[in-house]
Amino acid sequence: MLKMNNIKKIFRTDLVETHALRDFSLEVSEGEFVAVTGPSGSGKTTFLNITGMLETFNSGSYLLDGLDVSQLNDNQRSKLRNEKIGFIFQSFNLIPDLNLFDNVDVPLRYRGFSAKDRKQRIENALERVGLSARMKHLPSQLSGGQQQRVAIARALAGEPLFLLADEPTGNLDSLMARQVMQLLEEINQQGTTIIMVTHDAELARRAERNIHIVDGQVSDYQQLQPVLDVAEA
Amino acid sequence: MLSYYLKLSWLSIKRTPILTSLMIVAIGLGIGVSMTVLTVNYMMDKDPIPEKSHQLYHVQLFSYGKGHSNSQTEDAFPMQVTYPDAMNIHRSEVPLRKTRSLATGFTVIPESADSPPFMQSARAIDYQFFDMFNVPFIFGSTWNEQIDQSPREVVVIDKELNNRLFNGENSVGKAVNLGSVRYTVVGVIDTWQPAPRFYDLNNGNFNESESIFVPFSLLPVHELPSWGNNNGWKTEKINNYQEKLASEQMWNQYWVELPTKEVKEEYQQWLEGYISEQQKLGRFENEKAGASLKNVIQWMKVNQVVPSDNSILVGLSFMFLAVCMINTIGLLLAKFLRRAPEVGVRRALGASRSEIFIQHLVDVAFIGILGGALGLLLGQLGLLGVKTLYSSYSQLVHMDLTLIVLAIGIALGSSVIAGMYPAWLICRTNPSVYLKIQ
Repeated sequence: MLKMNNIKKIFRTDLVETHALRDFSLEVSEGEFVAVTGPSGSGKTTFLNITGMLETFNSGSYLLDGLDVSQLNDNQRSKLRNEKIGFIFQSFNLIPDLNLFDNVDVPLRYRGFSAKDRKQRIENALERVGLSARMKHLPSQLSGGQQQRVAIARALAGEPLFLLADEPTGNLDSLMARQVMQLLEEINQQGTTIIMVTHDAELARRAERNIHIVDGQVSDYQQLQPVLDVAEA
Repeated sequence: MLSYYLKLSWLSIKRTPILTSLMIVAIGLGIGVSMTVLTVNYMMDKDPIPEKSHQLYHVQLFSYGKGHSNSQTEDAFPMQVTYPDAMNIHRSEVPLRKTRSLATGFTVIPESADSPPFMQSARAIDYQFFDMFNVPFIFGSTWNEQIDQSPREVVVIDKELNNRLFNGENSVGKAVNLGSVRYTVVGVIDTWQPAPRFYDLNNGNFNESESIFVPFSLLPVHELPSWGNNNGWKTEKINNYQEKLASEQMWNQYWVELPTKEVKEEYQQWLEGYISEQQKLGRFENEKAGASLKNVIQWMKVNQVVPSDNSILVGLSFMFLAVCMINTIGLLLAKFLRRAPEVGVRRALGASRSEIFIQHLVDVAFIGILGGALGLLLGQLGLLGVKTLYSSYSQLVHMDLTLIVLAIGIALGSSVIAGMYPAWLICRTNPSVYLKIQ
């Protein structure tokens, strides 16, 4: 479903070259819940950007749902991103002057659904996250946890194959974090593949599979186990 | 998607009201100034009688003596004709319609003793003048052809004078005292102010039309004075009106209506024949002696109805618009770059670069239309200023539908051009920079 092979990504400035990913290979199957961990600067961000086709890579291959991403132009990548991928961000990234209905509507607009279809999808998505009664509210009128649930509704409305979650609980207190994590688990159980970047060892543990990135490469899960044990202790 | 982009544009205006207002003012100023200048230029250059401008011809005869010419025009033809020539060429039956014409004037003496006499410009013409130039009547009509042969004191007045003298009632058959002579009103014309006043460009391109029209045949009877230009090329003793009528002074105008090319050619030949006839009598001695027929548009060009300075002014006004638009580019950059995080989110949610580009161009176009609307208001103020400063331009200082559409079109077009670079820049922004994925 998602297959990265020997991906190399180098950021260049006039003075330095930074190897963000080196020979990075990863395969994610349909329906998996994968947690990605790693120290700061390890390449998690770059991995997520490349996975979401927000960044290009220097070499290697990346197949998404059987399509070779490196062969696609911007329009094709945008269309693929819109149809197959949903994003959830640490800082929610809701558009402040759009109400919840219109925020969830954003990806559907670019998808070209009819107004009736969009309305149905938006209502269903907000219903799913328990916010259907607050469609006309602005993001600023919601708590952090509620905003993240709106972001999840926005990501789900287009029924993507993947959810890419970047520290989805990073800005939430523990109660809200648990609720959001529970929601993600439910979504995964219903068949959506989730790749979640997190610093939280407890959350990573709840994922089906853990990927640890060190220096731009996938590290062995066994290497991660002591880290998780220490965190747990 | 257009309605969606317009909705986003409206939200964007509400989010950055000051920045947006500055842009609207910048565009409005540029449009206002350029439309003020363009309106005056456009109205000056406008065909004043489009249905007939290529059938109405002003007649010029090169009646100068040897060594003389008109240095003011390219073809050196005189602008007017002599009285003898006006009388002689009036014999031709070739034109469909024809009229002699002279700018004159009267002291109008109202019947009521309470109303003081006043001066009023007038025009001495032939009966076909009104039909030739499509002058609308509200009461009565022109005098008959007979009066152009055997003069009688009849007059056509305009609506304003009729209001002043007869309170707007049908005054046909009533008398008007013009100087010491009583004239009978035969017709009242509606307001008729062609701009430019093409039928007499020799006496003020944008002057108001006359209020009084009397038969040209009355010239020798009442010795009607010329209120227009008189041009001469030789020293002549003119001690009385009869000597003026017989002189080589050019103070009359002559217009003909020639409906087809063939009729025009026939009339041109007739005039050449007339000149040959006159040469035998010792006139038209100049080697360039000939006749020229110029239609309304050609006649406007000869008379430089649109001064050459105007095109410089139009150029300068558009340069000012360009400066305003360059300022707008700066403001747009500030506005769009503030929105970069939102653009990053939209890109992550599936918007392509071209969709982001179009969204921002619609935003700019919306601002451009608002700027255009403000520009129209400022343009009206500018035209009011022109009207106050130059009363002779009063006919020119209004925008017709074409100009209004043009103003909005220029505002829209220039805004979209100005918005291209900021929109391109924002759609090229790397979205991941603003998403703070960690």
